[in-house]
Amino acid sequence: MIHMLSDITGLFVQTGYPEPMSTLTLNHFLFVSAAMFAMGLIGFLTRRNLIIMFLCTEMMFQAAGIALIAGSRFWLNHTGQSFVIFVLTVAAAEAALALALVVLLFRKRESLDAEQWNEMKG
Amino acid sequence: MHYPHAPIRRLPVGLQRARAAELSAGRKRGRSLGEAISPFVLYTAIALGAIGVWMALPRRRVNPQLLGALVGAAALGLVLLGLGLKAAASETSQLPNIYFYVFSLIALGSCLRVITHQRPVYAALYFILAILASAGLYLILSAEFMAFALIIIYAGAILITYLFVIMLATQAPNEEQLESLSDYDATAREPLLATGVGFTLLAVLTSMLFTGTQSLPDTEAVLAGRNGDEVLADLPARVEEALIDAELIEAGQTIARDDHGQALIDPVARTATFETADGFVDVAWPSDLAAKNVESLAFDFLNRHPGTIEIAGIILLMAMLGAVVLSRRQVEIDEEAKAHQSRHLSVEDPA
Repeated sequence: MIHMLSDITGLFVQTGYPEPMSTLTLNHFLFVSAAMFAMGLIGFLTRRNLIIMFLCTEMMFQAAGIALIAGSRFWLNHTGQSFVIFVLTVAAAEAALALALVVLLFRKRESLDAEQWNEMKG
Repeated sequence: MHYPHAPIRRLPVGLQRARAAELSAGRKRGRSLGEAISPFVLYTAIALGAIGVWMALPRRRVNPQLLGALVGAAALGLVLLGLGLKAAASETSQLPNIYFYVFSLIALGSCLRVITHQRPVYAALYFILAILASAGLYLILSAEFMAFALIIIYAGAILITYLFVIMLATQAPNEEQLESLSDYDATAREPLLATGVGFTLLAVLTSMLFTGTQSLPDTEAVLAGRNGDEVLADLPARVEEALIDAELIEAGQTIARDDHGQALIDPVARTATFETADGFVDVAWPSDLAAKNVESLAFDFLNRHPGTIEIAGIILLMAMLGAVVLSRRQVEIDEEAKAHQSRHLSVEDPA
């Protein structure tokens, strides 16, 4: 408990660090990426519209992209950025296939409800 | 032909590695900042965010969406404030980078709207907003090419395809039920369970915030990084142009080349060798000469991942074929039409 309290006070009290630094850390970007990924996951689990579900997978791709770019900036090489290009490629391929599947499924049931396909249990 | 005094174009591999290690050690400026945020604040904020997202998820009857969004925003604000105060506390002069906070607020806020909005078209439009904010984050991370490629490919191509399919696959409402929502859009499936799972994952993922952190290298380090200089060794025309612009050499002078036709550029010492009447002269680059983001990215992309490009091409081809096969309508041809067609073909073909 005392540890927690000191943590809270430590937030608001200026704690001196030895030297000035650039303002943002890798962790700032990793937090945004993780939060975006978690929201994509929640959206994928909760939404029942097939199109929105695939939109949420795109959101998770996007979160991965932010983490890759932040890593590329942190370690000062361009491999992370190259891999974002490949992530974009896979996202485009996935979008094309998923939307073709959605159109196919919509023609069969006239509905975008994922629960309409309940019998496809593995 | 042999140049005894020509600079070594590439360092031996061992030396290169040693130099890279030395450079990166200097560049990281090993400022260990301790944990980025206190665990108590972070986990409180994550719990708060979970409650907010759970409330904001779509449902019938009582719909505390606005309240949920506010709670979620408060949680996010708490985390960002915690991160910002920690960064500010370690600053001597600079404020935290305000653009990061603006862009991440927009990105995460519109992500929340994507997963909570009851109308698919609006969800897709909010996702475009999230993409634009991510492109802003890419710009902060000095990945200019990827930021604009993201806008063009994601917001411009992929999301428009999504919008097309949403409009294709949504029934036009009748006159009397203009404002009706389909049931599957209006209610969430297992909101409590999914939110719990999602935010537990977030809590686990963000444990890395406690492991101590290091600041990002300065922008100058990105511009004048080892990668940038090495890339310039393969771009003699750029070096010549910059030297002419800086009036260090005269127009028309070209960098000397060795037996293999390689331009004599030393990326470590940042000099280029020119042949003059007096012999070979090393000219130092102007200090602002650095490879652009897109140049470095292109070298990394094409030099180091050639196989991956092939695989990406195959994936795209397969996806295209798959999409065509999946969405093509089955055309029923009866026997008579088939016979007619084969007769038609056999007449046209003389063999």
